[in-house]
Amino acid sequence: MLKFTIRRILWTIPVILLVILMTFVMMRMIKGNPFRTTERAVPEAIQRNLERKFHLDQPAYKQYLFYVKGVFTLDLGPSLVLRSQTVNDIIKQHFPVSIHLGVMALLFAIVLGIPLGILAALKQNSPLDYASMGIANLGFSIPSFLVATLLIYFFAVKWKDVTGLPTNGWGGPETWVLPVIALGIYPMTYFARLVRGSMLETLQQDYVRTAKAKGLRWRVVVGKHVLRNSLIPAVTATGPLLGYLITGSFIIEYIFGIPGIGKYYVTAVTGRDYSVVMGITVLLSVIIIVANLVVDIVYVYLDPRTRDERT
Amino acid sequence: METDQRDHAIEATHRRRAQFEDALTRTAEVRGTEAGAALGRASLWKDAYYRFIANKASVIAAFAFLILLAYVIFVPIFSNEDPYAVDFSEAYIPPSWEHPFGTDQFGRDLFVRTALGGRVSFAIGFAATIAIMVIGITYGATSGFLGGRVDNALMRFLDALYGLPYLPFAILTLAIFGTVNFWTMVVALTIASWFTAARVVRGQIISLKENDYVRAAYALGVPRRRILSRHLLVNTLGVIIVFVFLELPGVILGEAFLSFIGLGISPPKASWGTLAQEGYVEYQVHPYIIVIPSLMIAWLILSAFFIADGLRDALDPRMKET
Amino acid sequence: MALLEVSDLRTYFKTREGEVHAVDGVSLMVEEGKVLGIVGESGCGKSVTALSIMGLVQNPGRIVSGSVRFDGRELTELKERELEDVRGPGIGMIFQDPMTSLNPTLTVGTQLTETLRRHLGMSSSQAKKRAIELLEEVHIPDAARRLSDYPHRFSGGMRQRVMVAIAISCNPKLVIADEPTTALDVTVQAGVLDLLDELRRVHGTTMMIISHNMGVIAETADEVLVMYAGQVVEQAPAIELFDQPEHPYTEALLASLPHLEGRDVRNGRLVSIPGRPPDLLVPPEACRFAPRCTYAGTDDCTVVAPELREIRPGHWVRSQHPRSERAAAAVGAV
Repeated sequence: MLKFTIRRILWTIPVILLVILMTFVMMRMIKGNPFRTTERAVPEAIQRNLERKFHLDQPAYKQYLFYVKGVFTLDLGPSLVLRSQTVNDIIKQHFPVSIHLGVMALLFAIVLGIPLGILAALKQNSPLDYASMGIANLGFSIPSFLVATLLIYFFAVKWKDVTGLPTNGWGGPETWVLPVIALGIYPMTYFARLVRGSMLETLQQDYVRTAKAKGLRWRVVVGKHVLRNSLIPAVTATGPLLGYLITGSFIIEYIFGIPGIGKYYVTAVTGRDYSVVMGITVLLSVIIIVANLVVDIVYVYLDPRTRDERT
Repeated sequence: METDQRDHAIEATHRRRAQFEDALTRTAEVRGTEAGAALGRASLWKDAYYRFIANKASVIAAFAFLILLAYVIFVPIFSNEDPYAVDFSEAYIPPSWEHPFGTDQFGRDLFVRTALGGRVSFAIGFAATIAIMVIGITYGATSGFLGGRVDNALMRFLDALYGLPYLPFAILTLAIFGTVNFWTMVVALTIASWFTAARVVRGQIISLKENDYVRAAYALGVPRRRILSRHLLVNTLGVIIVFVFLELPGVILGEAFLSFIGLGISPPKASWGTLAQEGYVEYQVHPYIIVIPSLMIAWLILSAFFIADGLRDALDPRMKET
Repeated sequence: MALLEVSDLRTYFKTREGEVHAVDGVSLMVEEGKVLGIVGESGCGKSVTALSIMGLVQNPGRIVSGSVRFDGRELTELKERELEDVRGPGIGMIFQDPMTSLNPTLTVGTQLTETLRRHLGMSSSQAKKRAIELLEEVHIPDAARRLSDYPHRFSGGMRQRVMVAIAISCNPKLVIADEPTTALDVTVQAGVLDLLDELRRVHGTTMMIISHNMGVIAETADEVLVMYAGQVVEQAPAIELFDQPEHPYTEALLASLPHLEGRDVRNGRLVSIPGRPPDLLVPPEACRFAPRCTYAGTDDCTVVAPELREIRPGHWVRSQHPRSERAAAAVGAV
């Protein structure tokens, strides 16, 4: 298993390099020059100086290599547009907010979704089952921008006097409630349905019948035999869900006016701020790749059958 | 049982066997049945169709889907309202008998506009889904079928693509094109989502490859390309069809997200996402403008999902068998 | 008094098309220290009978009527918690497919010790010691080390031995083995059967062995029950059943055993019984074997359902044309 872990980790390096390359290529394909699109036209000579400073006058492959070196030394370069800040600064300022939002949404989804799925499976076809699956289906199909909008409409506007939750910005805990719910509803329903399906399937397995035939208490059968095996798919699902959380956070940040990196990403793209775009994209990619790596490793740990297979 | 007693019993059995063989043959002639006779031809698709029909949720979902399609296609044809007419005196009328979905800030009837928006959303959705399937199937089938190092290399590349988050990827693609119109949107969505299809197809092909009937085909000397088309792809069709119904709403939702943050198709051609974005601006005063197109999307997602569920059960009966 | 006494057991399954009468009036008895063999083709209800005895029939199936008396207690009236106490120390069960009957994510040791700790109140170290003893008893080499292995590291035959170990771990009075050898290679089958035989000899364990394989039953059973379409069609001591079968179905089963010696081996065909078992959704109001029976003539075989009757002491048949009466009829007709 250790060998598998090491191999898996090593594989992420070429993957990251490839990702940087692709982002780099795509970024370069965007027509336009950061220095010419700013409102105040920059004089030619200064432009050339800036280009030299940011290596933009070098051939493409050299720029790529400079950049890769930068990534691995954790120096993502300066912002091309907001010239007083480096990309690292921007990221440091705004990224933690996005992470905070994402992690809380994920926790919300897990804490609410998984128990809901478990209960629904154990009481299959009961009113509880139908009700929770009904809610799950609603939450899963309604686009998050509508959920967010409705949440704001009801909690912050119509019932303002009762709950008085703020709808803008990011500060104390009361500002977290609505955005986290809005972002977390979809993953919650995803988990609920996934866990329910997985548990129903596990409950049909022969080894559950054996456990019952051994005379173990039902509580023990469920807790020890069923749950462990049912939750494995939920673990593997967190990988792709991370992608959703990132995507979704763009929207949620936009709606709730949260100063995360989502907002800066779009402005940077339209403003041709190469380094910010690259920096954020690479950062997000690394997070996704690392998250998938962790999920893969945890999965092997959880399911002993995979340990002895040759990868 | 003791050994000699057992042997004795088996001897007796052999004796009786000869007698019984005759008796059985006579019976078979008389009754005209033969053990294991075929039950009559059944086709995979007919079976699947019946199984699908039997699933209430799927049938309801299929109807819902068709109703949505009908709304989107027919309402603009039969409506008298001009969706582009600007008439400020009619602005912001909430849903009423005359305007079932109300009107927007320019006085345009939203019942028709939403239907037109649906056309755009569906068009983008279908185009992107088809493109995704074509690319995904080609890539996935090639990778899965060829196996070995080719498969490894192709999959590593895919892993890298998975590392690029969906929205940024789509945004970058749109930025490369410069403008956002129907085709650039389709391309952007396709590029950001084809890898899941490739992986699913590859997975299916790989698991099918191990089946004995494929090995038998090889042993009989069937050319490789024929094995791929005749045996593997046909059995992958089921998975593909299910996947289409899962991917379509995903793509439309993706387009809606992009439109919502301002990267949608430029007016006057509006998709549901664009309509939602327009409605978002005034949701506090006129909430219905954003609610309606969003609910359309929700309707689509729900119906497509249950259809996919029903299709999956219909086409892969093994899962339900006890 | 028999250790296990089942009377007129009926277990039905609710399906969309109606109720399937999987077990339709089965009665049997197992004396202490004896081995009862239940034989029949797939779908005849033998497994469901075993599950019904253990109370393991799940939705959509349920025991509709009948009684299951084990060790003096009526199992059908027990609450789930009480049944949980009977399973393990009272009755142990071995299932058909060892590949899927063990939890793949728990070690074999855990799956053994959990029963020991639950029913016998052992501490962790006591349970571990006993588990090793059990594994050795079922002849698993290197038992101490194997305790911490996962099921997938065992071969099929060894997994089944582990199942046997689990079944006997709490010293049950009765062991039910449902198709214990069906999923195993022929060579491995013998080993498992030997093990079961050893259990009987050494511990005097009462057993119920279910199989569709006549050979397995012949080798292990003292008394044999033949089931067809949810009913018992013949019951007799093993020797007598194989030597003098009465029911046409039993005869057919025995005749269909392929043989490798004797004349006509090269030219003969494999004998099979034409037709299929009846649909248990709507069981026929007649002899259920009639459509496939060689001897069901123009009698009321297709109209009247025969009862189980004692044709000789200890030998029961459910047929209007048992072998001994056929011979007599033939003679009489002359």
